[in-house]
Amino acid sequence: MSPFELSEPQTLQDAVAMLDASDTGIRPIAGGTAVMLMMKTGIFQPDRLISLRGIESRYSEVSVDDAGDLHIGAMTPLRRLEKSEEAAQAAPVIRRALRRLSNVRVRNVATLGGHLAHGDPHLDLPPVLIALGARALIVGASGERVIEIEDLFRGYLETALAPDELIAEVVVPAQGTRRATYMKHTTRSADDWPALGIAVSLELNGDEVGSARVAIGAATDTPRRLKSVEAALAGKALADETMQAAGDAAAAEAEVHSDARGSAAYKRELIRVFTRRAVRQIMEMGTGGAV
Amino acid sequence: MAGGSTTTVGHSYPRMEGRAKVTGRAEYIYNMRLPSMLHAKVHRSPISHGRILSIDTSEASAMPGVHHVITGEDVKKVLPEPYYGPAFHDQPILALDKVRHFGEPVAVVLATDPHIAETAAQRIVVDYEELPAVFDEVEALTSDVIVHEELKPAGTFADLKHLAGKRDTNIALDYHLQHGDADKAFADAEHVFEHTFRTQQTMHTPFEPMVALADVRNDHATVYSSTQGPSFVRFELARLLGWPESNVRIKTAHLGGGFGAKVYVKVEALAMALSLIAHRPVRVALTMEEQFYTITKHPSTFRIQSAVDKDGKVIGRKCEVWWNGGAYADIGPRVTQKSGFTAAGPYDIDNVAIDSYALYTNRPPAGALRGFGIPQLVWAYESHTDIIARELGIDPIAFRKQNILRNGRPQAVGTIVKDGEFEAVLDGVAERMNWNRPFDKGSGTKLRGRGVGLGFKASISPTTSSAIVSVNADGSCIVYCSTVDMGQGSDTAMAQIASEVLDIPIEKIRVVNPDTDVTPYDMSTLGSRSTFHMGHAVRLAAGDARDKLHAMAEEVGMPEGSNAPLPELFIRKFGMRAGAIVGSANYIPEFSPPNYDTGQSTNATPFWMIGATGAEVEVDTETGQLTILRLVNVCDIGTPINPIVVETQISGAAVMQLGFTLTENMVIENGQLTNPSLADYKIPGFFDMPDTMENGYIDAVQENGPFGAKGAGESGTFGVSPAIANAIDDAVGVRISEMPITAEAVFRALREKQGKPLEEN
Amino acid sequence: MGGQKKTIGFTLNGRRVAADIGVHQNLTEVLQEEFGLFGARESCGQGLCGCCTVLVNGIAVTSCLSLAAFADGADITTIEGIADGETLSAEQDAFIETGALQCGYCTPGFILMTKQLLDENPDPDDDAIMHYLSGNLCRCGAYPEILKAVKLAAQKRKAG
Repeated sequence: MSPFELSEPQTLQDAVAMLDASDTGIRPIAGGTAVMLMMKTGIFQPDRLISLRGIESRYSEVSVDDAGDLHIGAMTPLRRLEKSEEAAQAAPVIRRALRRLSNVRVRNVATLGGHLAHGDPHLDLPPVLIALGARALIVGASGERVIEIEDLFRGYLETALAPDELIAEVVVPAQGTRRATYMKHTTRSADDWPALGIAVSLELNGDEVGSARVAIGAATDTPRRLKSVEAALAGKALADETMQAAGDAAAAEAEVHSDARGSAAYKRELIRVFTRRAVRQIMEMGTGGAV
Repeated sequence: MAGGSTTTVGHSYPRMEGRAKVTGRAEYIYNMRLPSMLHAKVHRSPISHGRILSIDTSEASAMPGVHHVITGEDVKKVLPEPYYGPAFHDQPILALDKVRHFGEPVAVVLATDPHIAETAAQRIVVDYEELPAVFDEVEALTSDVIVHEELKPAGTFADLKHLAGKRDTNIALDYHLQHGDADKAFADAEHVFEHTFRTQQTMHTPFEPMVALADVRNDHATVYSSTQGPSFVRFELARLLGWPESNVRIKTAHLGGGFGAKVYVKVEALAMALSLIAHRPVRVALTMEEQFYTITKHPSTFRIQSAVDKDGKVIGRKCEVWWNGGAYADIGPRVTQKSGFTAAGPYDIDNVAIDSYALYTNRPPAGALRGFGIPQLVWAYESHTDIIARELGIDPIAFRKQNILRNGRPQAVGTIVKDGEFEAVLDGVAERMNWNRPFDKGSGTKLRGRGVGLGFKASISPTTSSAIVSVNADGSCIVYCSTVDMGQGSDTAMAQIASEVLDIPIEKIRVVNPDTDVTPYDMSTLGSRSTFHMGHAVRLAAGDARDKLHAMAEEVGMPEGSNAPLPELFIRKFGMRAGAIVGSANYIPEFSPPNYDTGQSTNATPFWMIGATGAEVEVDTETGQLTILRLVNVCDIGTPINPIVVETQISGAAVMQLGFTLTENMVIENGQLTNPSLADYKIPGFFDMPDTMENGYIDAVQENGPFGAKGAGESGTFGVSPAIANAIDDAVGVRISEMPITAEAVFRALREKQGKPLEEN
Repeated sequence: MGGQKKTIGFTLNGRRVAADIGVHQNLTEVLQEEFGLFGARESCGQGLCGCCTVLVNGIAVTSCLSLAAFADGADITTIEGIADGETLSAEQDAFIETGALQCGYCTPGFILMTKQLLDENPDPDDDAIMHYLSGNLCRCGAYPEILKAVKLAAQKRKAG
């Protein structure tokens, strides 16, 4: 690894001030699992890293506000999020998705903010958070802004974040009676990067789907919503035909490419099958509250 | 020597080095540092085939902290013929004139700080004229792309000499076997079958990457290396240097895995050359990525044909095997020949013709990997055998038993089989799988099937092992042998053998790490040969020491049966606690070389290794996804020296082969290896294990083996791949003929069968 | 070259220590070069094999992907620190007794993860064990024996 310099600010504001919109050789480092990998392979050779580890502890906390919205500090390690009872109450799909996300050691140090800011389409929480309708609070030199997670991802390892902006917090709105699931599928070994991840969140009115949010990761260039699938589900009866239609819509809408994990044609079939299975799983969860 | 009651041999002693390993204190060469050493970082070729036009080292050399930047031409100044290899002297220490594979070492930076060496290595600029490349073994046979202008056999193997100086061919070795009259059998046959099977390029991925530290000073070279074959490395480095072997010392420690990756010369010649140039100790420590450029397992193509009579008896078999050896031959020609003669499978077939070819291509070099080519062959002949049984409507196990090789019958190479329990091994699998009971074939989109595979291997022969056993005056004992313990438990096995022969408790026995200045010659730790060959050498050396102890006892007036403790014996003889009784032995089994034209030999191997696997699988027909419900591995390993270690060997071998079967694959696209890392080259983890796995060995005795034992390190790999393919066929009626068996391959085959083929992209 | 230096102080296997390091150095490297501890070792270099596992402030981390600079002020335990003098830990004993190791290169990582798992969950079932250890790889394929070792270690810990 080529040498670089390291700054260790004690506040988020100081950290932001140390970043430079015009200098991509200066980068933040949080848990560091992804940055270290890129530096070790020589893909990324920074001049200076700004460690976020020393910033205010409130950015590592998980809480629920009066409205029932879940607030997750961007510096929260994934393992802490996984163990958080508040998160498990508010959106149990998060804990379930985390259980199979990378491994315990990575989850121990990788942070939610880093996970999202990395912009790697193969990660698990982006589709989950998109399906949950989550948003991110972003802090930059010019102030704060809020962005929907679905608008965060712009391309492979590219996000809407400017080089001098940091994610401060992620907010998952109260889910009410919505239920969600996440299905990920690996085509080589079990611990491989996924070939696809499908997150589905449904509002159910009896045997009918109210509204639907469906997001895909891994198979597409960026994690994204699949709006034709949402349309195929909204207002429809929870029946086999609906699930079939959702799967077909997903296979038709998702733009996929061939890679080491499978050909595009094969991945389209996987998307069809796993979208259907995800919807079925929600249906089979029964009507007992949020899952 | 077989049978009888033993007190130490045959018991499940925990590994001698267990404590060192669980406390993190075990000695590995990767942990070693030498005073004033330099770190080496290799600059590697980014293309698969090309001419080197120029190498610009100026920017790298100018970096503070860089001591040397060394190219192939620099090496040539100190070693005029800087080529090495066990079969061909074809591999340059650093590329000269040409690069022949992606990742080939081209130049090296030496620096005191490894980070500086790494950064500087990236700043070396090499200009290439890229040449067309050949990657496929069958294409290489007729390709205009010639990997080596001239073939240079090492002279080590007599049967390669005819290739010396041959030009315009990629064939490094062709091997032929004729047994009976195959053409006539095919003319007489009721049924004829023909199939082609392929295997992919894979890699050993030992977790301790290859490493060598060399310290060359004056007329002596010391190389600390994670090698499986210190004696061979000494031989080869001495040859390169033009020095007597006594001036070259190779030391090893425990190896963090080997699996065949660390046999012959890997990074030792480079480390030695760098130290020779720099006049300082040099450490060459590869990364996991760099191992992928260093040695791999042969991809292969196998066209197999069978002639079967009306009763289901296989009367003839023709085998054509093409081995993709990559850019440098390494031990590939031996793979071609030694595996070649078992290519027709463990069956009693009167008429066999085998043609086996080792090919040069522009892939990273291929060598030995746990089975020496056998798993590639078994993949083909056991898939083929299964297809025949199914097409003839005969139960796959019954069909195998009808044709199986039995003791007293000649194998295709002409050697009469002795202590080869093929049928018992197959029965062992069938029994554990309850083969004769009804089997739940699943329903809906989850369909189940089961299959078996049976394979075998001859031991590499003739090879020599030497051992020294020294009994100390306090009654403790040291075993000196060059067998390398890379996790297979050989130190423990050798200690058990010495303990048994000398009646000294195993706790008082130490097995010395190989050091060619101290431990005597051994051919190498490979091919499951150590238990048999070194086991005999240690047994004989211990016996020699025991005889000397008996003589000494008699001399000092303590005849046999007096049962005097050893320390008292030494005190009586030497007047105090002093002296040592040293036994030594060489062991080489009997062997008859094969006839060059027919490949026939009356004694081709000292023992046969046999392994079978049964698999039960479930296929998700909507995705092609496979679940291995059950994997049963049964081997003939003779009588085990250490049962628990043998069981873990069988289990580990099967797990490794499971990876090669399902997930592991080195992918070359546009001349570049795209996945040289564990992130993209997927070895099995916890969740890739079969739901249940059973491993065992049959009751057997290898009559000519030490305490009835024979090798056990590879047999667990043999049957895994075809057992799974056969089970898939049983479950969903599709046949996969190319490894790895991916879910997509199964899904595509299913769609093909339904008449709805999936589009290419 | 050489880059920025930093003096770090931390607790290593119960002892206060300090080291001058380059901020680009990873923790595995510093444990090896500055403290002669080789039980955490880099193999895959990508956090997948777990050979470099150490415990930092009581949680398992991939030391080859951790900057040593971040160890400043931390409490670090390596495989060399979990035996009580000559008495091996329950996990270490269990791995030897079940034959859950072959080449031994991945063993320290598996043992530290086992210790972490049992600290969190004294009575894990197979699924919990596999989930917890799925980020460690064993090329010798000793997974079935490792599963047995973890269960035996759990028993040993309960027996005290």
